[in-house]
Amino acid sequence: MPCDQRTFSGKGKMMKEEEQDGGGVDELLAVLGYKVKESDMAEVAQKLEQLERVMGNVQQDNLTFLASDTVHYNPSDLSTWIQSMISELNPQHPFTPNNHPSSLTPPPPQVYDDDSSFDSDLTAIPGKAVFPQIDGPLLNPQSKRFKPSTTEVSSSSSSSSSICIWGGGDNGVRLVHTLMACAEAIQQEEMKLADALLKQIAFLAVSQAGAMRKVAMYFAYALERKIYRLYPPSNPNDFAFTDLLEMHFYETCPYLKFAHFTANQAILEAFANKTKVHVIDFSMKQGMQWPALLQALALRPSGPPSFRLTGIGPPSHDNNSNNAEHLQEVGWRLGQLAESIKVEFEFRGFVANSMADLNASIFDIREGETVAVNSIFELHQLLARPGGIEKGLSVVKDLKPDIFTVVEQEANHNGPVFIDRFTESLHYYSTLFDSLEGGSVGGELGPVSDQDKLMSEVYLGRQICNLVSCEGVDRVERHETLAQWRRRFNTAGFEPVHLGSNAFKQASMLLALFAGGCGYRVEENNGCLMLGWHTRPLIATSAWKLNSVC
Amino acid sequence: MGSNFFINDNQDVLIEILKRLDGRSLGVCACVCKLWCGITRNDSLWEHLCFRHVSPPPEGVRTVVVALGGYRRLYMVCVRPVLNRLRKWRPIGMETDAEIVRRVYWTRHEVELSLSLFCVDYYERVLLGGGG
Repeated sequence: MPCDQRTFSGKGKMMKEEEQDGGGVDELLAVLGYKVKESDMAEVAQKLEQLERVMGNVQQDNLTFLASDTVHYNPSDLSTWIQSMISELNPQHPFTPNNHPSSLTPPPPQVYDDDSSFDSDLTAIPGKAVFPQIDGPLLNPQSKRFKPSTTEVSSSSSSSSSICIWGGGDNGVRLVHTLMACAEAIQQEEMKLADALLKQIAFLAVSQAGAMRKVAMYFAYALERKIYRLYPPSNPNDFAFTDLLEMHFYETCPYLKFAHFTANQAILEAFANKTKVHVIDFSMKQGMQWPALLQALALRPSGPPSFRLTGIGPPSHDNNSNNAEHLQEVGWRLGQLAESIKVEFEFRGFVANSMADLNASIFDIREGETVAVNSIFELHQLLARPGGIEKGLSVVKDLKPDIFTVVEQEANHNGPVFIDRFTESLHYYSTLFDSLEGGSVGGELGPVSDQDKLMSEVYLGRQICNLVSCEGVDRVERHETLAQWRRRFNTAGFEPVHLGSNAFKQASMLLALFAGGCGYRVEENNGCLMLGWHTRPLIATSAWKLNSVC
Repeated sequence: MGSNFFINDNQDVLIEILKRLDGRSLGVCACVCKLWCGITRNDSLWEHLCFRHVSPPPEGVRTVVVALGGYRRLYMVCVRPVLNRLRKWRPIGMETDAEIVRRVYWTRHEVELSLSLFCVDYYERVLLGGGG
């Protein structure tokens, strides 16, 4: 199979591939009256096995409806016939013998809708069993509201919240089901089936609009990479481009602004009455967080402190980029700003793969300095290596910070089971993409440009790709929930610092400014602040200090 | 009887009048003639506009604001959007509609936020605009 030439085009192109793939029908089966293309033999065999399994699982009395209610298909088209039998027999998820706990009980979709390739005059008609009547808000197309996801850390159950953007009629529902089915097929290592489902996803996605289509396309792309083991992704170390994408993301939606402003508020309060301060930033990028803090320090009633900034950035892996130089440039620019507003400023940059690769001594903490450590959407990457997070947190502890500000995605995308991670992230990124469509106000002056929005989607799409298609140390988008992080921090010897009402007010105002207040919500959660879209929290800011006992 | 009073001959009076206008009116005045255009570009007019309703007026802000691009820019980029959008926004459990409409004075938070955003704007525009 020409793996890397697969693309997501419309149905027409897929059809052509089908016709070119197979040859004639199998001769032996043809003698018996069954038409099966040679190229499909393996699939038919697989599906026969499946049918057998499914028939075995069904209760005796459930088969009676077959006699009266079913539509009978031409059995000489063996492939389609088996598929329709499976669909009608099994209203539950066909792939897990034990009930899949998700309340989205997706039946197998009509995989071979493009029947004409099998010379069948009959199109499979979906019976009652295929689209079970699920009442209530789960599949309500009118509802624009989410149910909050109730994810427990320990259980393998994924969140059961409805994704409101999938309300676009039948095809929207089928799209979700097909995505889930494909992921489940991958979980069961039924790669041919997964591949077939992938084609179906592409077909269905094209008929959708807006956020739905985009999310589906990104997840489908990631699934494709997973099936064909095309990981790690092509440009793993393209940090300049990633920075650029992040800048557009910064402009498009309030998440990064929220992160920066709430973290800054915590740092500002920790720096009250201090004259020598040192910020260590593990998420340096373009340094967008620091102008606002510098300005707030400049206008302190007691005057600005002397300010030191140490920025950590990733090392360059090719000859085209010099990340150490890039860091120095960012530092220089911040220095210019600091000079304009009369704040004494010093900068130092280090390149390192991660927090865990550093040693506290290189930071040269000076006598009498108040230290703040900052990590925005970086900490979860340490979970990719065994012992990474423990080492990273111990480095932070050695720095003896007065405050450690952390912003992370509020989701559990690091569970051990692939299908659970997939389901979680599908909900999460659907919500995120929905907010990109809905919260259309951009910078102070104007609406979001199309380019900004597109770049933001690519930015998020990369996360999706890493999350779904990578494994081991390559899978760095290992998001965990605030509850999970709290446990880690407590174990490591940190205690929480409550973000005050100032941070809450500022965050609320920020949202009112950039999002017209529509859809975005700031929530306080035991001293931490969360930003969400409608009822689903998406990112969480928390602040920590060393446990006074140790 | 002083029937030959021309406002353009009495710029100090003109400035006193301009000080009492809102931002939009100031913009309109700038289009009247070259003299008025020149006068309305005076940054201290915009400083007055930005902070005449702040209680209490912030100290030490002028150096920072001037360094970051001046009061007119501060007004256009930050103060005006903040005032416009936050006037329409009602924080839950904090103020009623009537209170917002009547409220003329900024809160400290709005001032701080505007200044922070102004600083970010400067950084993006001046320092990031050219390179990387």
